[in-house]
Amino acid sequence: MTSGSIFAVFDPAGPYAGSITTLAWVLIAMFVAVLAVVIAALWIALRGSGRLKARLGGTRAIWIGGIGFPVVVLTALLVYGLTLTRHLTAPMPQDAMRVRITGEMWWWRVAYLDPSGRPFMLDANELHIPAGRPVLLELESNDVIHSFWVPRLSGKLDMVPGRRNTLPIQADGPGVFAGQCAEYCGGPHALMGFVVIAHEPAAFDRMMAARRAPRPVPDERGRQLFRSTGCAACHRIAGTEANGMAGPDLTHVGSRRSLGAGILPNNRGTLAGWIGDSQAIKPGNRMPPYKTLSAADLQALAAYLEARK
Amino acid sequence: MKSETGFDPALYARFPTPGERPEGELEELERIWCAPRGWQLLTAVNNNYIGFFYVAAAFLFFLLAGILALVMRVQLALPLQGVLPQDTYNQFFTMHGTVMMFLFAVPMVEAIGVLLLPQMLAARDLPFPRLSAYAFWAYFVGGLCFFTSLFFGLAPDGGWFMYPPYTSITYSPGINADFWLLGIGFIEISAIAGAIEIVVGVLRTRAPGMTLDKMPIYAWAMLVFGVMIIIAFPSVILGTLLLELERAFNWPFFDPTRGGDALLWQHLFWFFGHPEVYIIFLPASGLVSMMVATMTRTPLVGHYLIVLAFLATGFISFGVWAHHMFTTGMPNLSIGFFSAASMAVSVPAGIQVFSWIATFAVGKPRYNVPTLFLLGGIVTFVIGGLTGVMVAMVPFDWQAHDSYFIVAHLHHVLIGGMVFPMFAAFYYWTPMTSSRALSEQLGKWAFWLMFTGMQVTFWPMHLVGLMGMPRRVYTYLPGREWEVINMISTVGAFTLAAGVLAFLIDVARNFRFTTDSDAGNVYGGGTLEWLPTGLYSTRSIPVVKSREPLWDDPKLAEDVEAGRYFLPGSATGLRETIITSPLRAEPQYLQIMPGPSAWPFLGAVFTAGFFILLTVQAYIPSFACGILAVICVLRWLWDTDRLVKEPDVDVGAGIRLPTYVTGPDSHGWWAMMILLIVVGMIFVMGVFSFFYLYGVQPRFWVAPADLWSLAMVLPAYGAASGLAWLARYMLAREATELWTPGVLFLCGAIALATGIGADLWSWIASGLRPDASGQGATVYALLGLEAMLAAIGLLMAGYISARNSRGMIVRPHNNSLDLCVLWVIYTAGQGALTAVLTRAVGG
Amino acid sequence: MHTVRALLPLLLTAGCKPPPDEAQHMPQADPVRGKQAIVRAGCGACHVVPGLRWPQGQSGPSLEGFADQGLIAGRLPNRPDLLVAYVRNAPATLPGTTMPAMPLTDGEARDVAAYLYASGKR
Repeated sequence: MTSGSIFAVFDPAGPYAGSITTLAWVLIAMFVAVLAVVIAALWIALRGSGRLKARLGGTRAIWIGGIGFPVVVLTALLVYGLTLTRHLTAPMPQDAMRVRITGEMWWWRVAYLDPSGRPFMLDANELHIPAGRPVLLELESNDVIHSFWVPRLSGKLDMVPGRRNTLPIQADGPGVFAGQCAEYCGGPHALMGFVVIAHEPAAFDRMMAARRAPRPVPDERGRQLFRSTGCAACHRIAGTEANGMAGPDLTHVGSRRSLGAGILPNNRGTLAGWIGDSQAIKPGNRMPPYKTLSAADLQALAAYLEARK
Repeated sequence: MKSETGFDPALYARFPTPGERPEGELEELERIWCAPRGWQLLTAVNNNYIGFFYVAAAFLFFLLAGILALVMRVQLALPLQGVLPQDTYNQFFTMHGTVMMFLFAVPMVEAIGVLLLPQMLAARDLPFPRLSAYAFWAYFVGGLCFFTSLFFGLAPDGGWFMYPPYTSITYSPGINADFWLLGIGFIEISAIAGAIEIVVGVLRTRAPGMTLDKMPIYAWAMLVFGVMIIIAFPSVILGTLLLELERAFNWPFFDPTRGGDALLWQHLFWFFGHPEVYIIFLPASGLVSMMVATMTRTPLVGHYLIVLAFLATGFISFGVWAHHMFTTGMPNLSIGFFSAASMAVSVPAGIQVFSWIATFAVGKPRYNVPTLFLLGGIVTFVIGGLTGVMVAMVPFDWQAHDSYFIVAHLHHVLIGGMVFPMFAAFYYWTPMTSSRALSEQLGKWAFWLMFTGMQVTFWPMHLVGLMGMPRRVYTYLPGREWEVINMISTVGAFTLAAGVLAFLIDVARNFRFTTDSDAGNVYGGGTLEWLPTGLYSTRSIPVVKSREPLWDDPKLAEDVEAGRYFLPGSATGLRETIITSPLRAEPQYLQIMPGPSAWPFLGAVFTAGFFILLTVQAYIPSFACGILAVICVLRWLWDTDRLVKEPDVDVGAGIRLPTYVTGPDSHGWWAMMILLIVVGMIFVMGVFSFFYLYGVQPRFWVAPADLWSLAMVLPAYGAASGLAWLARYMLAREATELWTPGVLFLCGAIALATGIGADLWSWIASGLRPDASGQGATVYALLGLEAMLAAIGLLMAGYISARNSRGMIVRPHNNSLDLCVLWVIYTAGQGALTAVLTRAVGG
Repeated sequence: MHTVRALLPLLLTAGCKPPPDEAQHMPQADPVRGKQAIVRAGCGACHVVPGLRWPQGQSGPSLEGFADQGLIAGRLPNRPDLLVAYVRNAPATLPGTTMPAMPLTDGEARDVAAYLYASGKR
């Protein structure tokens, strides 16, 4: 569903993930070195010459190999790790862009926040950010514990009901970065994907401006159906009477890269299929199947939603 | 030589005794210890049988959980497979983790302990054989029922860690989660029963002369293991209780909208869950240390350092639990502490690994199957340990946490640290309990298949985890190059399974269970379990003068078998063993041991029935089972505390020991003290929950119950402990009527009930309801805990009265009364603390 | 030639069954590319598509054994040209159908049709 590197943690796309990748390489080097030492020691103990074996066979070897050596290595690592922890959790500049992402079973509610912390634009399952600028995510949950993880941009952080965690992310250049819920949340936890799209700052500003501009929605058939079949009870489309908040906001659903929280391609056909029987696609999700919609109604609804760019 | 108990160590010089033993002495020993046959085997309590059943049952669960893993690997071999539907997969991975941890790993190390420890310490049996039998049957029956839930689609699906709110009634309305909570609930009880048994066994039933210094390293490991269970398991017992209360009665411990907190569960769970890893690893490390010494024919290098490492591991492991919570948004200060502790805990592991390497370097290693498994285990464990250091680095953990990297890490630790040592132990100790050793050839097949399979399965998982694959997913979408890696893991998993199959074939072909004509000391071990044994363990109980007595005294086996040491026959005509002092193992008294009985078995079946029927909401049969279980337990206890006609007997070489001892020297007193520590830990975790929720959500707190009500509560508790103490005091006075202690004790128990009743009443009067807030929930949970203890106190009063009326409470001191008095005094103290602490904050 | 190579495994599995119906022959279309197009467009959101493990949508009819079906959507004759037109823009080809127009090029639509015919053969 998404482009981009498959090597996730090993191919960071921003400074927050990047410093962890450096740490990862240091740790892997430590892993290889220590494993080599232990295997070499084991080899000497089993097959080595008498002189080497004699040196290894005594409590001195334990003091050096089992206590001294680990203490030195671990202390160095600990200093490095905790310094990096402090660096990564340092407070962000006040004017940084902020977005609230709320974990839901099994999708993501996205709310872009103004400087006073109030949401000014709602979306779902996709986050647009400007490249080269840090963005602060406020992570919350409305039901069970989820975990936000886009490996190429940062480490993961849990979304715990009743709490608010903050996570800085930043992408150095434009790109599409895949993520997935990392804390088991039941049912289709495996199908709870997320996409971050980084744009050139100018393009990002244009896009946001376009989205914020009022856009009249014609009172066409699809809009009427959205109201009459009950879609509006759970879904919101800005500029219309539909303002349900239980399900994902559909104001910009037509512009999303994927459907069903990062799992399906998004087009008129898949929209129709999702509406008709999403349970066959993502079993257990909270949207009921609408199998009784007539062909024409389904067509009209799918077309209407596809046009919500 | 110093003495701990007044016993003169010079008396040890009388052994081995010269001359022939009298005719018929051995036959009598055999008759006394003879095991029931056929169906009667269900009533067996001897550790040779129970230990073997226990090991076999734990291995069965290993196979079952392993099969679940194979099916999951098939599902994940390719993206979007349909082998297991989503909900079934979620049940499978939950059961795999739960069964492996609770029904395999902990019971297996406990089982090996039950089988090996008495032989290694040259005790006739563990000090509470019926408790062992009860613990085993409760575990086996309950475990099978628990596993069966999978076939009805009722298995839990919340993960083995069961995080609320997902496992709360809102998001998991089925009884699946209850199966976990109740099923695991009594397996915890079984584990604690085993731990009490093992701690008392190690400290009080060692062969005379086996000072702590001369104790085998494995016994050290089991001692630390037992203590860790006693401290760690209460936390998860409390956690499961609270979650079940929330599910059943809507008490909001974990509900943030009513003053609870989801992270409270994680603290309780991981305070148990992380030490759990060392609870599994330490006994295995003890086994490895024993085997490395034998296989290299040299005493373990760094024995003291390893003992220190065990103690350090036990200690530090209680300070690392929150490293499972690095991604929950903890403050940096806590992160620093837990990160440092998590790294520190790898130092003792380093000590152990280098001790083994040093021992290999000193000795001349033999390359047989146990050695192969030992080496494979060490390498695999080191890999897991190093990835453990990696994830102890917090920023790295933010990437690795809950990804397949962790799956790889934990399987390296557990398979390298426990499973491979277990197979080594199977090969090494089989000659002790089978008339034939296992096959070297098949064993090599088993090892190489398992070792290769293990590495092929789990190495790729490190990579796929860092490529972004989270854990606990029933499938994944194509296009991220996870397919090939997953396919390799699946192939590896089947290779590993083939190795296990080779082992099973070996067992089927060569394992023949026996208690008295075993294959013997084929590897030349130096510790006491390699003495010739029958069901009564060794013919006579040797005086231990070194850490490897068989190596240092080549005549020992012959002398022991000829009855030239302690207790060459039965002194009282009953089952018995020598209780020794905890530090220097000086003989203190002769414990009369209970024999076969159906009551532990029936009690266990009814206990399991109580929990299982409660889960499926068959309340009436469930409570009937509960009552029957209590009756069975009381019935089995009824004939345990008894006097024999001889107040003291000759236990060999003219050394006389008493047959009945009360007070702090008695093994029953020790067991009760440990049990009270368990209960106390449950209480401590309850108090922690109370203050934790107050710290997190103080705005939900209201004014506590009136302080003046303490004027009623505290004196009642004071009276309870006073009366209980008085009961013991009066029993020792010749002038009192014999029924006085019973009546006094009953009054004490009633005072206890009055105390908790008054406390409960004042809280109800305060208007706070348990379902109102985190405060209400924790307060009533603490009160409920106290009420439960008080109810047990009342039950004890009935039991004591019954015994008293039969003239079984004898002067001047009596164990049954003593232990119940301890219980009441403790309960009164906890009640007073409950009353004061719950009123300390709020409002 | 390309087509033949791509179809070869299918032909082999077809064993000694008669050769494919000439009427369903799709020159210059590639069933392998067709399957990729099916995944990219998300046809599985509504249909059970042979060879596709997920999704297996239930809103539309199953497409298993499609080659043997007489009609498309129960009304159009099952001819390659009509199928290509139908998978691209069903409402234009058959007014009143439930299936919406799909974002496929003409070439992709031909590949999809080829895949449906090829995989439907038993």
